[in-house]
Amino acid sequence: MLLRSVDDSQINTVFPNTFEEYKKWDKEKDELPPEEVYRALFEELAYGDKIQVGRALTRMNYSKSGWKSLIKKTSRAIKKAVKKDELPDNYKEFLIEANDKWADPSYWYAMGQMVNNQTSIYYWNAIDRTFDEELNVVQQEENRRVYVATWIKTLKVSIYVTIFCLILGFPVAHLLANLPLRYSNLLMIFVLLPFWTSLLVRTTAWIVMLQQKGVINGVLVWLGVLNDDGRIAMVYNETGTLIAMTQILLPFMILPLYSVMRVIPKSHMRAAQNLGAKPAMAFWRVYLPQTIPGMSAGGLLVFVLAIGYFITPELVGGKDGKLIGSWIAYHLKTTLNWGLTAALGAILLGFMLIFYWLYNKIVGIDNIKLG
Amino acid sequence: MSKFLKAFLFASVILAPFAASAVTVASWGGAYTESQQKAYADTYSDPSSIVFENYNGGLGEVRAQVESGSVTWDLVDVLPGDAITGCDEGLFEDISAEIAANAAPGPDGESMAEDMENNGLEYHSGWDCCVPQIFWTYVVFYDPDAFPGEKPSSMADFFDVEKFPGKRGIHTWATGIIEKAMVADGVEPNAVPTVLEKQTGALDRAFAKLDTIKDHVVFWSAGSKPLELVKSGEVVMAIAYNGRVGAANLAEGENFEYIWEGQVLDQEYLCLMSGAPNRDAALDFMWHASTPEAQAEQAKYITYGPMRASGIPIIVNNEPWGPGGVDIMPHMPNTPERLAVSIVSDPQWWSDNGAEINERYAAWMGN
Repeated sequence: MLLRSVDDSQINTVFPNTFEEYKKWDKEKDELPPEEVYRALFEELAYGDKIQVGRALTRMNYSKSGWKSLIKKTSRAIKKAVKKDELPDNYKEFLIEANDKWADPSYWYAMGQMVNNQTSIYYWNAIDRTFDEELNVVQQEENRRVYVATWIKTLKVSIYVTIFCLILGFPVAHLLANLPLRYSNLLMIFVLLPFWTSLLVRTTAWIVMLQQKGVINGVLVWLGVLNDDGRIAMVYNETGTLIAMTQILLPFMILPLYSVMRVIPKSHMRAAQNLGAKPAMAFWRVYLPQTIPGMSAGGLLVFVLAIGYFITPELVGGKDGKLIGSWIAYHLKTTLNWGLTAALGAILLGFMLIFYWLYNKIVGIDNIKLG
Repeated sequence: MSKFLKAFLFASVILAPFAASAVTVASWGGAYTESQQKAYADTYSDPSSIVFENYNGGLGEVRAQVESGSVTWDLVDVLPGDAITGCDEGLFEDISAEIAANAAPGPDGESMAEDMENNGLEYHSGWDCCVPQIFWTYVVFYDPDAFPGEKPSSMADFFDVEKFPGKRGIHTWATGIIEKAMVADGVEPNAVPTVLEKQTGALDRAFAKLDTIKDHVVFWSAGSKPLELVKSGEVVMAIAYNGRVGAANLAEGENFEYIWEGQVLDQEYLCLMSGAPNRDAALDFMWHASTPEAQAEQAKYITYGPMRASGIPIIVNNEPWGPGGVDIMPHMPNTPERLAVSIVSDPQWWSDNGAEINERYAAWMGN
């Protein structure tokens, strides 16, 4: 799949001659490509395999909207002419006659990015860049720039969720590990029950709790803390995403922490205090360092899961709900732009590797433990 | 071969024994698939030979099956844009000759294609591989109790937050909304597709109109959501799939009102997978599921309209056609007077421009 992010060979098997002639076009000198290009295109559309051309169309449309119907309409005109055995004397005129977009240089410029078997365009697209007519990398049109912002948002959300999970999960895991068995078993059930509950159920439950006419706002208004027009927007925005994702991913933090904390001998804290440390100091110097393997495991687990999340954010995130996972799913399913899908996936993988490397540098990978 | 395909192959090998005997139809699930089961499968000569399987739309799985060479679905229920792309790419088999020969003609002997053209549709390459199902529509609806005085009745009202204060529920992708914004901006509904295609700057116009409600919007992405939003009072009006609103009114005793003006009709097709394991049986089921009678039958179970013009008189002449003896036409999107104020979404234009517009729409949402 990763290979797809740079592969452009399919279209090159459909239009080999057109592209070869295209490369000879001197853009400085002539506004439009020479007759040979038009002729090669005519022939390759006239005698090419319909399905292969169809697949090439999907790809061409990524470089410029409108290719699809342009080629389809042109193909129809060409096939008609070939059927009647009326090959044109001047292919350029014929094509422009069939559709005046063939006189529009912007389509021809857009062709420039597909004439090689390999391409880097998908990676550039994935960070809001594209090629201009000279094939220089330039910024995407302003109103289409979405990916950089989404990347930043995805990283931000994942980091926040990891931190919140750590803050909330640590005390719970500590209680679980230190309470007498009958209480800790009950507590464990409270942790595990939501863990076993369907993701959609939990997400929906959060919506019921958080929405403006929802439970929390209702109670606050009833208590007189808020007045009726002052209801807080806690869902269908980033707040909602953070709350719901934190709750859903919390068990992935608690469980590794718990299994690490459980085996830390209680005598360590007592010994530290016996030797004169205040409880806070004993916790800081003796207990906390021993939980690092659990925090690391939980943190990495939560972060890895969060960075690829997309169903929960889409449901509770409203306009802020599109994380990079949504775009991957969108291009995989809807636009069929698997090149871009693969590029987005590869970048995501790259991020993971960087974080892994950073983590290894800072904490050390041998220091990770699930129990 | 990529990992994705390998995983798919593996899954297909496991699932293959289940798929071998029956015609597998991939569809959207929920009330929609239930209506297909009742209207098409249960009325078929051998109901047990048809098995529905849920999928989430899009051509991703279709392409993975075809490219890996292990096709487990026979038929797929798709949106028109996917019908076009799927047919162009050869993911769906070109059966235009079979359709011409075998699809049930209309009552006056008109071919299926003519029957659809009578309903205001235009040929696109999806017609070579697929048979028509139903019209569904993006429609605005509201709870009349939310408006004690004057009630909203037009797209202009939907975009007028001064006259009708309160939030609006709209979806997180661009299809349907762009057209509605154009209507609110004063374009004649029937002319919207042409204006979008021909007029430079039409899109800017639509986005400028969208800007006016930007701060009064709750975005939804799942079809059940707009109903919850309106019911809970989170928004005062929302865009929804009309079948969902119809079901709430008919089955759950809700009293939602529609704003039919500016509704955006979209199509739905049943397509034959290339390399379908039960090709012949699947074709036979396609002919059955695309008869005017079967299409009218589906309206009994969900308020989506027949795509063949000749399906409509069957409903009109046999009212009450709905569940529990209610008239169904008042809930249907494609009556003549509603069609007069509707937009028929142009799938060819969307399949040309959809990716770009959706990026722009997402950028608009995010800013």
